[in-house]
Amino acid sequence: MKQNDFKFRILLFLLISPFLMVAQVSLSGKVNSDKGDTVPFVNVIEKGTSNGTTTDMDGNYRIEVSSLPATLVFSSLGYETFEQSVSAAGVVNVTIKESAESLEEVVITGLATSVKRSNSANAVASLSAEDITGITPPPTLDGALYGKFPGAIVSANSGAPGGGLSVKLRGATSLQGNIQPLYIIDGVYVDNSSFAAGLNAVSAAAAGGSASNQDNPTNRIADINPDDIANIEILKGASAAAIYGSRAAAGVVIITTKRGKSGETKFRFSQSVGWTEAINLLGVRDYTYDRVLDTFGESAANDFQAAQNSNSLVDYEKEIFGNSGLLLSTNFNMSGGNEKSKFYAGVSHNNDKGIVKNSGYEKISFRLNLDHKATDWLKFGLSSNYIYSSSNRGFFNNDNSGTTIGIALTATRPWDKLFPNEDGVFPDHPNNSSNPLQTIERVTNNEKVNRIIMGGSMNMDIYKAESSNLELILRGGLDFYGQQSRAIFPKDLQFMKPSNGGLNGVSVQGDTQNKNYNLSAFLVHNFFTNNDINFRTQAGITNEFFDTNTQLITASGLVASETNVDQAANTGVVQTRLQQEDSGFFVQEEINFQDMFIVTAGLRGDKSSNNGDANKLYYYPKGSLAINLNEFGFWSESSKWNQFKLRAAYGEAGNFPPFGALFTSYTSFTTEGLLGISLRGVRGDAAINPERQKELEFGTDLGFFNGRLSLSGTYYIKTIDDLILNSSLPPSSGFTTEFVNAGELQNKGIELGLNATPFESDNFSWDIGVNWFKNKSEITRLDVEPFNVGAFGATLGTYRIEEGFSATQIVGIGPNPGPNGFQVWGDSEPDFQMGVNNSLRYKNVDLSFLFQWKKGGDNINLSALLTDLNGTSHDYDTIDLDPNGELGNGPYRVSQLGSSAGVFVEDASYLRLRELGIYYTVPGKMLANVLNGSIDSVKFGFSGTNIINIFDYNSYDPEVSNFGGGTIFTGVEVTPFPSSKRFLFHIAVNF
Amino acid sequence: MKKHIYKFLFLLAITGTFFSCNVEEFSDLNNPEVDAFSESLTRGDLQDLVSGVLYSSRVGLGTYFDDCGVIGREYWRFSSSDPRFTSDLLGGSNAVLDNNTFYLTIPWAARYRTVKNANLILGFLDSQDLSGQFTTQEINATRGFLKTFIAHELLLNLNLTDENGIRIDVSDANNLGAFVSKSEALSAIRTMLTDAASDLNNGGGSFPFSLTSGFGAFNTPSSFAQVSHALAARVAAYQGDASAVLSHLGSSFFNLDGSDLSTGLYYNFSTDQTGLLNPMFFPVEATTAGARIMHPSFLADAEEGDSRLSKVAQRSEALTLDNLTGDYSVFLYSSNSDAIPMIRNEELILLYAEANITVNPGEAVNALNVIRASAGLDPYTGATDTESLIEEMLTQRRYSLYAEGHRWIDVRRYNRLDTLPIDRVDSEGNPDDVWSSFPIPLTENQ
Repeated sequence: MKQNDFKFRILLFLLISPFLMVAQVSLSGKVNSDKGDTVPFVNVIEKGTSNGTTTDMDGNYRIEVSSLPATLVFSSLGYETFEQSVSAAGVVNVTIKESAESLEEVVITGLATSVKRSNSANAVASLSAEDITGITPPPTLDGALYGKFPGAIVSANSGAPGGGLSVKLRGATSLQGNIQPLYIIDGVYVDNSSFAAGLNAVSAAAAGGSASNQDNPTNRIADINPDDIANIEILKGASAAAIYGSRAAAGVVIITTKRGKSGETKFRFSQSVGWTEAINLLGVRDYTYDRVLDTFGESAANDFQAAQNSNSLVDYEKEIFGNSGLLLSTNFNMSGGNEKSKFYAGVSHNNDKGIVKNSGYEKISFRLNLDHKATDWLKFGLSSNYIYSSSNRGFFNNDNSGTTIGIALTATRPWDKLFPNEDGVFPDHPNNSSNPLQTIERVTNNEKVNRIIMGGSMNMDIYKAESSNLELILRGGLDFYGQQSRAIFPKDLQFMKPSNGGLNGVSVQGDTQNKNYNLSAFLVHNFFTNNDINFRTQAGITNEFFDTNTQLITASGLVASETNVDQAANTGVVQTRLQQEDSGFFVQEEINFQDMFIVTAGLRGDKSSNNGDANKLYYYPKGSLAINLNEFGFWSESSKWNQFKLRAAYGEAGNFPPFGALFTSYTSFTTEGLLGISLRGVRGDAAINPERQKELEFGTDLGFFNGRLSLSGTYYIKTIDDLILNSSLPPSSGFTTEFVNAGELQNKGIELGLNATPFESDNFSWDIGVNWFKNKSEITRLDVEPFNVGAFGATLGTYRIEEGFSATQIVGIGPNPGPNGFQVWGDSEPDFQMGVNNSLRYKNVDLSFLFQWKKGGDNINLSALLTDLNGTSHDYDTIDLDPNGELGNGPYRVSQLGSSAGVFVEDASYLRLRELGIYYTVPGKMLANVLNGSIDSVKFGFSGTNIINIFDYNSYDPEVSNFGGGTIFTGVEVTPFPSSKRFLFHIAVNF
Repeated sequence: MKKHIYKFLFLLAITGTFFSCNVEEFSDLNNPEVDAFSESLTRGDLQDLVSGVLYSSRVGLGTYFDDCGVIGREYWRFSSSDPRFTSDLLGGSNAVLDNNTFYLTIPWAARYRTVKNANLILGFLDSQDLSGQFTTQEINATRGFLKTFIAHELLLNLNLTDENGIRIDVSDANNLGAFVSKSEALSAIRTMLTDAASDLNNGGGSFPFSLTSGFGAFNTPSSFAQVSHALAARVAAYQGDASAVLSHLGSSFFNLDGSDLSTGLYYNFSTDQTGLLNPMFFPVEATTAGARIMHPSFLADAEEGDSRLSKVAQRSEALTLDNLTGDYSVFLYSSNSDAIPMIRNEELILLYAEANITVNPGEAVNALNVIRASAGLDPYTGATDTESLIEEMLTQRRYSLYAEGHRWIDVRRYNRLDTLPIDRVDSEGNPDDVWSSFPIPLTENQ
C-alpha cells in the first residue's frame, strides 16, 4: 500500500509538473454544509492573495491558482471558516460547518456600526435564533432569555398565559423609574408597556393602600414572534449602552429579525402540538372531623362528615388548576431573492390554552422583510410586522373583596357545594363572597392587540476610496398599536348580586392607542492607514416621539345581559395621555491599532420633554479600551492560546423621571354629582433631573484550543446618581410622597461565562455553556429619610430604602428590631444565578437542555397566610415552623401576625430544568426520492419548558410578582395564577 | 491634520442643526395643576375646589370608623384578605398597632389631604385680588366653611393619636408646624371653629358654591355657623369644659326633642363611578371577605326593648374568622349610597346631658330621658350622683351613636378602657389588648 502510495505521488508529480510551468492551476468543486445542503455564495479565496471567487447557486466554484500547493479559504456568513490545502489540481469538494458562533462575530458598538466580537471592550451577550427557539419555542420572546447569558434576571409575574415577564439587567437600575430594558427591533423603538385592565373596580385590590396596579396585565414585548428573530444582542449597562443615551440606563435589547438570502427560495414549515399543566399544586388540608369542628364549628363538621360519608369531598384546587391546556403553534416562512432584492416572509399562529378553564393566549403574526440594493452604493431595507393577539387571563392576584379566583379558593373547603345544578345555575359560596367555579365560567378578562411595527433604512456610500469611505445611514421606525381590554362581570355572579352588596354587573372596557416613531441619521467615516490602523468616525442625530392615549370606561349596574358600557346604570371614564419627545445627537471615534488596541470614545447629548427643563441637553460620555494580547505575537499560530483579551469600558446613561413627576396636580371626583378636585397626594418637582447611571466594567476573554474552550469574566460597578425617589413626605403636609433627586445607588457584580466543546467527532459532539453571575446593590447615599416601599406594610414584610443597605432589603416588625424599629428579614436579590446549557449530538439526534439555578433571594409570600386565616392551608396541621414544636403551621403563622413578619419572608431559590429539547433530523439523502428531492430536511422533536422544578417555597412557584414587573420591589405573592410547565411535539420541514 | 479639520467642521455642522431643533414641553396632560389656580381663581374654579374638599373628607372614613369601632369593641371587622383588622386592632397575641399600616396611614393622610385642599383654597383667596369675582361676604363665607372643615378633619386625627398629639399648622408643606399636645390641639381646634363661625356670620346670605344634600338646611353661611358651634361643643366636651359645651350648643342646631335626632350634617355617598360608596355598608349576610360583626356585648348589655338594637341584624348563620364568631351584622345603613352623619342632634342632646351632669344633674336626667324615650325605653330611675349619671350617659351614647366612631373615644376620656371586653387569649396566655391611642405615623418622622 505504501509503495502504491509512493508511486501514486510520483505519478501525480509528473502530471502536475507541466501545469506548474504555465503558472495557472484550475481547481473546482462543490461546497456542502454539514447538514448536506449545497451552499451558494461561499467566498473562496486563495490564502495570502487577493485571488478569489464565490460559489454559484448550486454550490459549485472554480478558481485559478497561480501555483500548487495552495490553500483555499472558504468563508460564508453563518458558517465556520474552513481552510483546505490543495496540492493537486482537480476537484476539491469541501464540507463547511454551520456555526452559531459566527453569528456572534460582530457586536454593536455604535448606533450605526458594529465591531468584531474579538475586538469588543464590553461583555455584550448575543443570542442566535438557535439559542432563542432551538431547544424549545418560548411562549413569549422575553421567556427565551432565561438562564442563557449572565447578568439578566428574568422573572414571570404569574403563570397566566400570554406573558407578563420582567427582565432586569445587572441588578437594580432604578428605584422608582423604569427598570426594564429598552427594546429595539430592526431600529424601531418598541413599546413594552403594560396597561391595567381596570379589574380594581371589582377586586378593590388597591383599597388597602397599595396604589400600584395589581391587575397583572401582559407586557407588550410578548407580541413579538420569537421565530422571526435572527439574533438578539443585550447591552447590559451604561458602559455598552451609552450611545442610546437617556433611555438606556436599564440596558438595551437589540433584536434583529431574519432577512432573506439571495439564492434558491427556501421554505420552512413547522408545527408544534403540546400541552401545559401546573408545575406544582399544593393540595388540601388534611381534614378530620375534630379539626373541622375546631376550626369551622359544628355545622361545618357535620357537613364535612356527610360529604366524607358520601364520598363527595372535592379537591377544588385540582378542579380549578388541575387541567391541562392545549398548545398549538404553526409557523411558515419563506425567504430568497437575488443579488439585488431579497425577502423574508413569515406567518405564525399560536394558540395556548391555560391550565385554568377559559384562560388562554392566541397570537397571529405576519412579517415581511425586504432588502433592495438599488446600486452598488445605495441600499434600502424594510421590516414590517403585523400582530394580532388576544389573551384571556382570568381573574387573579390580590383583592379586598374576596372575588378573585385565588382568594376565593383560600376560603373554599372540600365539602362546600359549588358545582352548578342541571340548569347551569351556580350556588352561592357558603364561605366566601364569590364562587370560584362561577367566576371562571362567567368572568371575561380579555386583552386584544392589533399592532404594526415598521422600520425602514437607507444606506448610501457617499464616498468610497482605497483608504477611506463615507456612508450615510437614515433610519425610521414606527410602532403603532391599539389595545382593547374587556373585563366583564355579569350580574348573575355571586358578588355582583345587589342582594349580596354587589354592583349588579360590571363591564370595564379599556382602549389604548399607542404610537411611537423614531427618526435618525448617521454618517460613518472609515479611514485605513497602510500599517493597518483604522479610524472610524461616526456622528448622528436621533429624534423619538411617543404618544399614548388610554381610555378606561367602567360601567356598573348592567342592563340584562348587555355588556356595552352605555347599557348600565353608572358609567365612569378615565383617560390617561402620555406624550414625550426626545431629541439627541451622538459622536464616536474608534481607533483600531492592528487589532492589538481598540480604543473608542463617544458622546451622546439628549434632551427630552420628560425632563424638568425640556430643552436642556444632558451629556452621556463613553470610552473603552480592548487589548488583544494574542495579537502581539507572543504566541505562535499553533499555540493553545487563541485569545487573550483585556478590556475596560466606561459609560453613562440616563433614565427619565416618570411622566407626571414634574407636576403637582389634582384629580377629579364627584360628590353627589358635584364635580370636585382633590390633590393627587404626590408632589412633583418641576426642576427634576433624569437619573444618571455611570458604569465601569472590566474583564477578560480567553480562548483556547481553536475556540473549543473559551472563558469570559467581567466585573462591573454600576452607580446610579440623582436617583429619583418618590419619597415619603409627612402626610400632614397633605402629600404622601414627592418626587426628588435624592440618592445614589450602587451595584457591583461579577459575570462569568464558560463555553466548551469537550468532545467532537463526526458522529458525536458535546457542547456545554455555563454562566454564573451575582450582583450586590447598596444605597450609597440617601438625602431623604429612610422609607418603606412596596408590598403591604411592615406587619407583613415590606421593602425599605435606607443608606448603607441593599436596595431590595425586606424588613418588617419582629422581636429583635434594629434602631429604626424594623428587623431585616431578607433581600429579594439572589446570592447568585447560574445557567448550564448542554447540547449533545449523536448522528442525527440532537439533545439540548438548560438548567437554571437561582440561589437565594427572598419573597414575601402572603398566600399561605390568607389560607391560614380561612383554616384551609395545605400545611395547616403540619408542625415544622413553630420553634416550640407545638402549633401547626397555620396557627403558627397566624400567631405571628402583628408580632413578626419573619414567617412571611421565604427563600425563593429554585433549580429548574428550564428547557429540554430532543430532535431527530431526517438525513437529506433519505428524502432524495420524496417529492422529487425538493425537500431539504425534515426534523422531528419533543421539547419542554420548566420540566423539573426544585424549590423549598410554600406555594406554586417562587417566581411570582403580585405587582407586575415594572418595579424592583417584586417577589410579593398574593394568590397568583399558578405557573405551568409545557410539553410540545414538533415537526419542521425545510423545502 | 487637514482631515481632522474637516471632521471638526462636519461635527459642528451636525450639532448646529441639532441645537436648532427644539423639544416640545408638555404640561400635565391628564390633570389640572395646582399652579393654574394661584394666578387666577374663578367662581367655577372655587366650586371645583370646594367640591374637592367634600370629596376628600370622605376618603378613608370607613377605616376611621373601623379603627374606633373595633378598638372600642363595638364590632369586629372581618376581612379575609386583610388579617390586621382582627390581629393588630384587637391586639391579638403579640400584635401591636403599627405606625405605618393602612388602618392608620389611610385615614390620617386623607384628613390632612382635606386640610391641604382647604388650605390651598385659603391661600388662593389670600394671594389674589378677587374683588371682581367675589364679594367680601362670599370670601368670608368660604373661609368660615373651609376652617370648619379643617377643624373637623384635625379633630378626627387627634381622636386617633390622642395624647400623642397632631400637627395643627400645616399650611406650608416645606415648613410644617410641630406636633402639639392633645390639650393644645383641642383648644386650637375650638378656636378655629369659633373663628369659622364668626367668618360665617359675616358671610352674607349664601355661599358662592353649591353643596350636597347632606348639608340639609345648613347650606347658608349663617346656618352652617350652627354646625361650627355644634362641633365646637363636641371639642369642649372632650376638653371637659361643661359651660363651654352649653354655650356652643346654644349657638348650634341643638334641639332637645326626641323626634329630631337625625338633624345634622351628613356625608353623601353614591354609586357614581367617580364618587364614593358608603364604606360602612355591608349586607347582613356578608362573608369573611368583608363584614362587620356586632360585638356580642352590644346585645348582651342592652336593656330589653331598646329600639336601637335595630342597628344590628341577625344573620342566618354565624360567621367566624380568626377565632371570633358572631351571629349579628352591623346594619346601620341599608345601602351603599346611604349618607353617614358627621354630627347630628342626637349627639348634641347627649352632649347637653353630659355637660349638665356637673352643672345641672336634673337637666341631665331630663335630656337622657329624651334619648331613652326615643329608643322606646322607660325614664331613667337610677341614682343621680355624678358617677352613676356618667355611666348612664356613656351607655346612652354607646347605643345612640353605635358604630359612628364615638365609643372608643368616650371610654377613653372617662378612663374606662379597662372595662372593654377581652375576646381572646392565645395559646401562650396572651390576651387581646385594648389600645388607648395610635402611634404617630412613621412618615411624620417624629
